[in-house]
Amino acid sequence: MNTKVLIVDDEPLARERLAGLLRECVNVEIAGEAGNGREAVEAVARLAPDVVLLDIRMPLMDGLEAARHIAGFDNPPAVIFCTAYDEHALAAFEAHALDYLVKPIRRERLQAALERARRFGAPQLAQMQSAGTVPHRSHLCARVRGNLVLVAVADIQYLLAEDKYVVVHHAGGEVLVEEALRALETEFAERFVRIHRNCLVARERLSGLTRSADGRIFAQLNGVTATLEVSRRNLPGLRKLVRSL
Amino acid sequence: MSAAPSPPPATGKAPVLPYWLPDFCSLPVLFAVMVVAELLALVILIAPSDESRPLLPRLTTASVFVQWLALVCAVCLCKLRPQLAKLTPLLGVMTAYALMLLVTVLGSALVFGIDQQLNLGLTLPAQFQARFIWRSAALCALIGAALLRYFYVLEQWRARVGAEAKARFEALQARIRPHFLFNSMNTIASLIPLRPQDAERAVENLSDLFRAALGNDTARSTLGEELDLVQRYLDIEKLRLGERLRVDLDVADLPGDLPMPPLLLQPLVENAVYHGIQQLPAGGTVEIRGRRLDGAIEIVIRNPRPPAGARAAGRHGMALANTRSRIEYHFGRHGALEVVAGADDFICTVRLPDAKGEEALASR
Repeated sequence: MNTKVLIVDDEPLARERLAGLLRECVNVEIAGEAGNGREAVEAVARLAPDVVLLDIRMPLMDGLEAARHIAGFDNPPAVIFCTAYDEHALAAFEAHALDYLVKPIRRERLQAALERARRFGAPQLAQMQSAGTVPHRSHLCARVRGNLVLVAVADIQYLLAEDKYVVVHHAGGEVLVEEALRALETEFAERFVRIHRNCLVARERLSGLTRSADGRIFAQLNGVTATLEVSRRNLPGLRKLVRSL
Repeated sequence: MSAAPSPPPATGKAPVLPYWLPDFCSLPVLFAVMVVAELLALVILIAPSDESRPLLPRLTTASVFVQWLALVCAVCLCKLRPQLAKLTPLLGVMTAYALMLLVTVLGSALVFGIDQQLNLGLTLPAQFQARFIWRSAALCALIGAALLRYFYVLEQWRARVGAEAKARFEALQARIRPHFLFNSMNTIASLIPLRPQDAERAVENLSDLFRAALGNDTARSTLGEELDLVQRYLDIEKLRLGERLRVDLDVADLPGDLPMPPLLLQPLVENAVYHGIQQLPAGGTVEIRGRRLDGAIEIVIRNPRPPAGARAAGRHGMALANTRSRIEYHFGRHGALEVVAGADDFICTVRLPDAKGEEALASR
């Protein structure tokens, strides 16, 4: 059976070269191409490749973050990073024993990496997610009726915990993610502030606080009509934050 | 004070350095203070006087007295250094100097008093109290001024050597962005089978860029050559980024023969591509516009950039800081680099003196 390979690079010529090299390899089939990390994650969900050749520096979402999202999939493909030069990123791969290729890529090296990926699959990737080689993600990954949805963190208005899910309210609607609110709070500490045991809101959207007739306090967010209650515990910190706006 | 290592030319205005006053608690500085104090004690001893006591006891008393004053001064300056550092250099030095004089006046008054009470006869007879204090203060004023100047020059020299080494290293790094080299090599490797003629041109362009980057900073170039280099650089990046990189170049107005140091503009354009265009999925336009002003030229480089949330962390400042310091070095206050970082665009404005301005600069 042929190995299905997805090529991800933001430079058309770099993709073309990889495609050319792959055509010279045996038992390899090009599943598709993607131009940035976000497209890559979507393409992996759609095309289910065996191997992803992933560039690191790309606009919108970089390769390291894309690899992290991909690692969360059921049956993830093996990821082989391709990079021109990046000391920090190279150090990260080495620490996790992931394979990487440096550009311009040699055909023999590519062949060997594909061979290895075919034999060992992608077991190492799971570690990467926990080790946090990426400081924080630019997107959250959710599934809606089996389809992959990527929400840019910059578009998120607020996060509401419900049972073991978190509901992500963003400019274009709402989706469920299977993550803990506390973990999201830690990862995006600069971006969101906690207003209640079950709720984080985007700092930059926070516009003020209102008091209802029965004395409860609500946070107001720009562009959001929902009422979000502020708990007694989070009130002092939030007051300070609103005053500093 | 002959040990002062190659002092920089004494100028009227003191440059703003945070540590114009050394740390008097550090051992080398303390040692220097003690050596100077001991030298002073010897000078006092050798100076002709009608003193009849033998040399050794005189040396001992003089040494103890001078060392004691010197160490009290050093401790005071050490403890007050954080407060002094907040003042302007001139005011700080004056304060430190005044402090030393005060310590000496009080110290010698105290010593004189004790000597009179105990009747040891180590200083001067009772009627000469004012003379003793006055002489001590005058000696302190002379030696203190020399010492402060010495430490100031030494610190300044150290700071300069450190800054130079750092600047040299950064310049080396900024000139050859490894990413650019390897990405270009990758582009060329892709082009060889597909479009061999483009590959050939890319190799030529890359060679020109590296020839300029590997040359030395004192080499002279002209504005025309520099703009050519920018064009070569953009040609390479256009191959790599395809339609995502668009260029709007309007520099016909600029004098091509204007002499200038090489690689002053190219790093700014590289920044525009690296931090702007390359970070945008749909790419964008780099605008380069030049115009003549009175006695100067102005070049504006503008690029779109991704919104704050999607911006990759990077060392944006290095090429800018490097270019700024080089402009400062070559043109003084007649050249400038202004940077405006907007929400969705980034604008660099370079102003350099033109031929007329250069003449004015030379005839200063």
